[in-house]
Amino acid sequence: MSAALLSLVQWLSPAFPTGAFAYSHGLEWAISEGEVRDAASARRWIADVLAFGAGRTDAILLAHALRGHDPGALSDLARALAPAAERLRETEEQGAAFAATVAALTGRDLPPRPLPVALGQAAAPLGLPVAEVLALMLHAFAANLVSAAVRFVPLGQTEGQATLAALHPRIGEIAAESAEAPLDALGSAALRGDLAAMRHETQEVRIFKT
Amino acid sequence: MNALTPLSARLERSDGHALVTLARSRGAVRLRDLAQRGSAKAFLPRVEGDVPEVVFLNTSGGLTGGDRLSYRLEVGEGCRATATTQTAERAYAAGAGAARVEVLHEVGRDGWLDWLPQETILFEGAALERETQISLAPGAGCLMVESVVLGRAAMGETLSRLAFRDRRSILRGGKPVVVEPLALDDRALAAAGGAAMLGGARALATLAMVGPGAEDALGPARAALGEAGVEAAASAFDGKLVLRLLAADGWPLRRQVARLLTVLRGRALPRVWQV
Repeated sequence: MSAALLSLVQWLSPAFPTGAFAYSHGLEWAISEGEVRDAASARRWIADVLAFGAGRTDAILLAHALRGHDPGALSDLARALAPAAERLRETEEQGAAFAATVAALTGRDLPPRPLPVALGQAAAPLGLPVAEVLALMLHAFAANLVSAAVRFVPLGQTEGQATLAALHPRIGEIAAESAEAPLDALGSAALRGDLAAMRHETQEVRIFKT
Repeated sequence: MNALTPLSARLERSDGHALVTLARSRGAVRLRDLAQRGSAKAFLPRVEGDVPEVVFLNTSGGLTGGDRLSYRLEVGEGCRATATTQTAERAYAAGAGAARVEVLHEVGRDGWLDWLPQETILFEGAALERETQISLAPGAGCLMVESVVLGRAAMGETLSRLAFRDRRSILRGGKPVVVEPLALDDRALAAAGGAAMLGGARALATLAMVGPGAEDALGPARAALGEAGVEAAASAFDGKLVLRLLAADGWPLRRQVARLLTVLRGRALPRVWQV
């Protein structure tokens, strides 16, 4: 196993201090409304957000950042693509924490940027295949949402892991497709996912930041 | 009625371009330039008050494969204007290739544009690529709404084939502030019933406001929601207000959008809008 791959796995692990566990990407609202209420509905929600929402969008942004596309322009685009206040907060706060931690570990100068751009800038020198980096990022995103579902639907631990494992083929497909996609291919159809992020803002009892 | 018959018989591709330039002169906003070619037209009905209305029209009767349509409006420095479309736009099953529509508006320093096109109705098999871009100079702002209806609920249509890419963006000083690339293809339609997707909705709208005071409009916008049969929410951040709306059918959505526009604009809807 390469040192580069181990670095990436470390950066994307739940223990890396980006605070990912505090962001539910609107899932907390969907759980509180009973729209996500078991393993099947959790899996579908997460699969759709991966394939038609922020998962694919972030994968395309990450691929461009890995290939050295202007990080300032990509950051502006990432911010403009955020459909709601909490989604902007989620990508900016995690991106800033991620960049600061990698900068501290490596001594590199990594400014705060939206998460996919920060990750791409940090991971570019690792020289890993683009689709592989995308798949690991999508996996971390999915694992974080599954973990929120395990805690708050709730799902059993094994049931949660089975949900995540069932998403693996989809993650591989989205990563392979997004690795080659131009910025013109950005597109979203997860509109109720966006609504969930907006409605979370006014949800009375909230444990997650988003 | 079969709306497809006259179009499938139409072999010629339509091509239309309309450009309108508004500028302030002698204390009022006036038409400075109007250029129209092919199936695109633009006109300025007489309106009360000092905010002119520009109405764009596609005379081809709908969009199908290979059609080209462009609408452009330049709103000069310090000018305020409203622009809309005469009727709902319809996109029919494509023959060869996609219909391409470009909507490129520019708003000069301290100007304001309300871009309020009527809804786009997509029919089974439609292929439409639309790029809507509003470029704002410093101090300028805009209100934009885009509504899309998937087939006709009254006719019991449920779409399964579609190649619809609808990229809406608002730029300020050349930098993107709002980018919403709606993409509905066969795969997305197959998943559209999902709770994170359209949840079975057939009519969808996005409203975005960018510019001075946009974030302050969050309270009034939220208070104007609640139309029966419409799911909607609002968020204000980064100098903008964004709303998403979903409904089972075009009519409740239209009523909700009309109510929001009346509150956010503080004035009546464009006359061509029928609610």
